[in-house]
Amino acid sequence: MTADVAGDAEVSADEGSLSAHIQKRFPGGFELVAELDALAGITVVFGRSGSGKTTVLNCVAGLLEPDAGRIQVGDRVLFDSERNANVPVARRRVGYVFQNLALFPHLTAEQNITYGLSRLEASARRSLAQAMLEQFRIVNVAGRRPAQLSGGERQRVALARSLVIEPQVLLLDEPLAALDLPTQSQLIADLRSWNREHQIPILYVTHSQREAFALGERVVVLEEGKILAQGPPQEVLRAPRQETVAQLAGVENIFEARVVSLQETLGTMTCRLEYSAVQLEVPLAKVEAGATVRIAIHAGDILMAVERPRGLSARNLLAGRVLSLEQQGIAVHACVDCGITFQVRLTLGARESLHLDVGREVWLVIKTYSCHLLEHEPQ
Amino acid sequence: MNWQALALSVKLAFIVSVVLFLIGMPIAYWIAYSRWRWKFLVESVVALPLVLPPTVLGFYLLVAMGPRSPLGRLWLRAFGHSLSFTFEGLVVASLIYSLPFTVQPFAAAFRSVDQQLAQASATLGVSRLMTFARVIVPLSYAGIITGLVLSFAHTLGEFGVVLMVGGNIPGVTRTVSIDIYDQVQSLNYVAANQTALLLLAVSFLTLSVVYAINRKVWAL
Amino acid sequence: MKTWLCLLLLLISVLAWCAPGEITVAAASDLTFALTEVAHRFELKTGNRVKLAFGSSGNFCAQIQNGATFDVFFSADVDYPRKLVASGLAVAPTLWVYGTGRIVLWVPADSPLNLGKMGMKALLDPSVQRIAIANPAHAPYGRAAKAALENLKLYDQVRDKLVLGENISQTAQFVASGNAQIGILALSLAVAPPVKDKGTYWEIPTDSYPPIEQAAIIPSAATDKPLARAFLDYVRTPEAQAILRENGFQPPPEAP
Repeated sequence: MTADVAGDAEVSADEGSLSAHIQKRFPGGFELVAELDALAGITVVFGRSGSGKTTVLNCVAGLLEPDAGRIQVGDRVLFDSERNANVPVARRRVGYVFQNLALFPHLTAEQNITYGLSRLEASARRSLAQAMLEQFRIVNVAGRRPAQLSGGERQRVALARSLVIEPQVLLLDEPLAALDLPTQSQLIADLRSWNREHQIPILYVTHSQREAFALGERVVVLEEGKILAQGPPQEVLRAPRQETVAQLAGVENIFEARVVSLQETLGTMTCRLEYSAVQLEVPLAKVEAGATVRIAIHAGDILMAVERPRGLSARNLLAGRVLSLEQQGIAVHACVDCGITFQVRLTLGARESLHLDVGREVWLVIKTYSCHLLEHEPQ
Repeated sequence: MNWQALALSVKLAFIVSVVLFLIGMPIAYWIAYSRWRWKFLVESVVALPLVLPPTVLGFYLLVAMGPRSPLGRLWLRAFGHSLSFTFEGLVVASLIYSLPFTVQPFAAAFRSVDQQLAQASATLGVSRLMTFARVIVPLSYAGIITGLVLSFAHTLGEFGVVLMVGGNIPGVTRTVSIDIYDQVQSLNYVAANQTALLLLAVSFLTLSVVYAINRKVWAL
Repeated sequence: MKTWLCLLLLLISVLAWCAPGEITVAAASDLTFALTEVAHRFELKTGNRVKLAFGSSGNFCAQIQNGATFDVFFSADVDYPRKLVASGLAVAPTLWVYGTGRIVLWVPADSPLNLGKMGMKALLDPSVQRIAIANPAHAPYGRAAKAALENLKLYDQVRDKLVLGENISQTAQFVASGNAQIGILALSLAVAPPVKDKGTYWEIPTDSYPPIEQAAIIPSAATDKPLARAFLDYVRTPEAQAILRENGFQPPPEAP
């Protein structure tokens, strides 16, 4: 392996890890300040469009030059503004699958895949390409041009093309956006199995919560050029601490509330939701009685009962009335008025067996730990 | 029917097109991709022959080729005679005159290729030059062919510049357009007509053949 | 009301009658300086306007044949006007030879060739790579140049060095710019103010070429024939003839 180190040996890192500290300002005011570390495996870069996700990828790939910072893969320094090191794109060995794939329209699938292998002999090129075609199950379309391939086939060619050059880092920009669910899961499985062998860091950019959960071993949340949170998806998205993250993560219920009382020994506190008489018991936080807090609750974390339940561990039991029921795919979305409107997500089966209807009187059950307190953000 | 004049014109147009292809590619590449803030000056210079009357261009070329200009003197010293009134002089004049007809279609074609393809090529380890050869050029065939055809046709019909620097020497600088003009001047309308029709037929044939081939390229 | 209208119409017609007339004159380029001066004097004298267009006689002839409405055509030869008469596009009696042209050898001021000493032999000097003459196919001075070269037995020796100008102005330009080392020009051009000091000339013996009779004519499509005739009459006056002579034109042959 060629060593393209621009002289820095002190900061060593594991083979198969990516460290990217990037600062870039754009005319118009947008500024990206990101420090992320990714180990071998899939790291999801999650955020809205315009949050800077693609900029991060472009900087790692070398297509954009950061104003300041440092990018290192393993012990290879790709960019270091202090030492004026900037490895050109073609030498970075970074695989990149663009959002619209950028397949060469005048070449066949096989020619696209062998495109980056021009340094090898023809026979080596062919056998490597064959291996990729087989691994991604596109052998039968090897001789076709991109215009003649289906969406899923094109994705696989794009992936194979980037992976065949044995990159040290793989960048994927919303790669599954245009595909249907089964194709998406298949592709994710293919990617996973390839990475089991190669163990490289993979940055996977998406704005879909579902993909983030399905894929990520780690999630980095980006908003307006800043990293809001990093960590396992369960932590970052399920129990968001910032409102923007909560919104991004699609938390449906976010309420403003006032702390009524604190139960220190029990580790809980009672809050009254603003503009209502509804009170919730939520985990204890370092605030005083009378303080304003914001509470986030996933719609899927709320249980619904048609009879007043007894003997439950859940501390919050609210009576209410069903305002609306809407089927969304394989789930049912209900709005329930308990003095404040809650969004509740149920399965189809649940609606059937409970014979739920608009106007029905129901009880909502919410666990204390399902109530997430959001950090106070300056407006 | 002045076959000699026609052959001369065709030869001139052919040579000029080939040379323009060779020098036009790098110029067009630079114009398409450079981000130098004074690039617009270069673009204006390249486009100048489009707006200058050919006779103005021809006049300045005549002066530049003469022994009173430093360029002319240089050439005189190197070759023993000046560039004016020679076939080579016509080639040089035509290169300048037809340059924008080559460079502009080339540059437009290069620019129309999706930038991301070039980026993808770079991430796959391919140098800028090879990316140009393997991705940009193949996807620019239509524009390249257009540029070649335009410069050929434009040179074939060239009159004003040749009039100024050619000297009307049969077999050397008497192109078919000069010949037609001479016939008209001498009131030999029949001869002029014959030559003109032939020129029209040759031009039309050339263009048709090229556009027919171009169509197949589209089907890529 | 009616009276006012009548008076207004009367006023307009009187003004129109008194308004200066205007003619457009097409002339061979070798008349550039001579005719500009003559036309200027005519304008001062009569208050009418003369618009001048200079170019190659062949061109003008073709244009008139295709409907151009010049009021007077001063050709550099006599054949083009005769052609126009033959095709019925000009009035025969108006054909008038206004002068005869002469051809000269001409070199730029910095030329090493001494025309006074060498005469026609200058054409054979080894330093001469290119000789500029007007195109004999359609320029009268070019025809005369070729005739002179042939009669003086020089044509075969110099034919490979000949470069042809479209008209004598371009021929002069070839020599003045140095691209041709020597040329055969019209005398009228060699003595013209812009050219006079830029080089030296030598008159080619008049017996070596047929006289270049230059004729003027009024085309049938002229828009203002009376004024055109008045202008031609002025060109016949001694005053105008003197100007022509100063500018290199010999007087017309005696009227029969």
